Amino acid sequence: MTATKLTLSGLVLAGILLLPLFFSSQYVIHMVTLMLLWSFVATAWALMARFGIVSLGHGVFLGMGAYIPALLFNFYGLSPWIGMLIGIVAAAVLAVILGYPCFRFKVIGDYFALVTLAVAEVGSLVIVALRDQTGGSLGLTINNSTRPFLDFQFSDKRVYYYLATAFLLLGLYIWRRIDKSKVRLALTAIGESELAASSLGVNVINYKLLVTVISAMLTSMGGVLYAQYVTYINPETVSGVGVSLSVCFKAILGGMFDILGPFVGTSIMVLLEEYIRISLGSKYVGLSEVIFGLALLLLIIFLPKGIVGSITALIQKGYQVERGSK
Amino acid sequence: MVEQITMAFINGILLGGVLALLAFGLNLIFGVVKIIHMAYGQFVMLGFYLIYSFHATMGVPLPAAMALGVLSMAILGIFTQLLLIRPLLKAPRLNQLLALASLIIVVENVAMMIWGADYRGIPLALPIIQVGEVFIRSSYLMAFVGAIVVLGLLYVFLNRTYLGLAIRAVAQDLEMAQGMGINPATVYYVTLAAGGALTGIVAAFFVPIYTVHPHFGSSFTIMAFVIVVLGGMGNLLGGFISAFIIGVATSITAVVYSTEVADILALVVFVLVMLIRPQGLLGVRA
Repeated sequence: MTATKLTLSGLVLAGILLLPLFFSSQYVIHMVTLMLLWSFVATAWALMARFGIVSLGHGVFLGMGAYIPALLFNFYGLSPWIGMLIGIVAAAVLAVILGYPCFRFKVIGDYFALVTLAVAEVGSLVIVALRDQTGGSLGLTINNSTRPFLDFQFSDKRVYYYLATAFLLLGLYIWRRIDKSKVRLALTAIGESELAASSLGVNVINYKLLVTVISAMLTSMGGVLYAQYVTYINPETVSGVGVSLSVCFKAILGGMFDILGPFVGTSIMVLLEEYIRISLGSKYVGLSEVIFGLALLLLIIFLPKGIVGSITALIQKGYQVERGSK
Repeated sequence: MVEQITMAFINGILLGGVLALLAFGLNLIFGVVKIIHMAYGQFVMLGFYLIYSFHATMGVPLPAAMALGVLSMAILGIFTQLLLIRPLLKAPRLNQLLALASLIIVVENVAMMIWGADYRGIPLALPIIQVGEVFIRSSYLMAFVGAIVVLGLLYVFLNRTYLGLAIRAVAQDLEMAQGMGINPATVYYVTLAAGGALTGIVAAFFVPIYTVHPHFGSSFTIMAFVIVVLGGMGNLLGGFISAFIIGVATSITAVVYSTEVADILALVVFVLVMLIRPQGLLGVRA
């Protein structure tokens, strides 16, 4: 089964890498770029969520990645490449400030989810409150640069496409690294029972912090790329509760326990959103979101493992039945 | 400035009454069904829109429109239980949370489809009462008195009627309550209906105060959360007290700084309470 999966993944990757060479359509490239970018963010989210550390506030890290480099560039002309590093470090610092007390005081499960949700809301409120600098809810447009490459601005949109691919591959690589290390074992044990794990000498707080910080850093990288690619950001699109929830929905749709789940979920979601938007959006404002929300509800009720998870479970079941009959 | 702060203080107390009612519904549902109703504020928004439609579009007199709004919200609460919460009762906590979060998307966008993004309101010319240097809006005063009356009725209901006692019994110990012959399914339906009716009642009190738009509900969901957590989840008295604390604190902060800072303050209180005192102000450490 892993061989099939590997071949399939290889084919998808080859398809993604070759696509811009065969399709010159700006629209197709744009859609796939968004797909890759949000897949990366969803993967970063699932990196920690799969161990039961479910954050509903990743928008705050996304927002830091989007706003910090953009503001530093607009006001001080600092290259967003350097801004990106600052944004990543800032996200890591916030992850520690937030994560340490949460893990120390054993805020777990849905309580952790609620705390992070509140933090996401604080993030977007701070952006709105600093409206003199950030433009508030009207959003922020990134200035044009005269030094395109040095300032993370490329006239050829395919550069963003390949950057998004590289980011996604980085996220998947880190996922694999965690899977193969003892970090995964420790976190799985913690997910089962914190008390049992800690009594066996597992440092619960450090392991949880590690994966939270990695996830936050990757998410902020996604924010940087999104902001530099779209060149316009506002609190609704890169911070706050709405985008935080949409990131988890994407990952959960695909299945957050499988390495390719977030990618599959995001691809389906981005395409579905776009399809509904084009076919119905202009006639009934809001209808696409209603269908979308209802689909999510049905999915959470009937397919709680997500698409990839359910298919994998189905295949495994069939496999067992086959073997059992022999 | 002193008058402004005095006025903010009084408004905070008055609004605190309505917030107490709002948080009461969320708290009751959490206490009984053990589910966090993420879309609670959005239901208030929906109730507001329904009252608006009954009155402004269909021409029903306002008091009757409010009664119809409360009734519709109670029915909607029953449907929420039937279609959404019941299938999820045995699901992991997180799935429940996410399902109710996707309900936010559905409700907000249904409102967007039906009523559009414009601000809607029912213009009412209510007098402003002057006491010395301080002005009090009678709409706030009516909402406060109404909320206190409803809370009193709820107190009587929960302490003096069979159904109310059954609700409290299920909240305290589900298995023992079942052993005493209480059917939890019925209690859940009643709780969700009561919670739904409360969103309608809160909406009715908001009608003279605010105008409504599709994203009207989210700030009230958050406000209700903050209050419930500060008072201790499932602790009804704690929620009542913390509603006034939050009402006054946010009202004064909004006057001195800005509404965003007030909201940030409330959320920071929420996070700190979750970290340091998860059992809430009045809770007993388990």
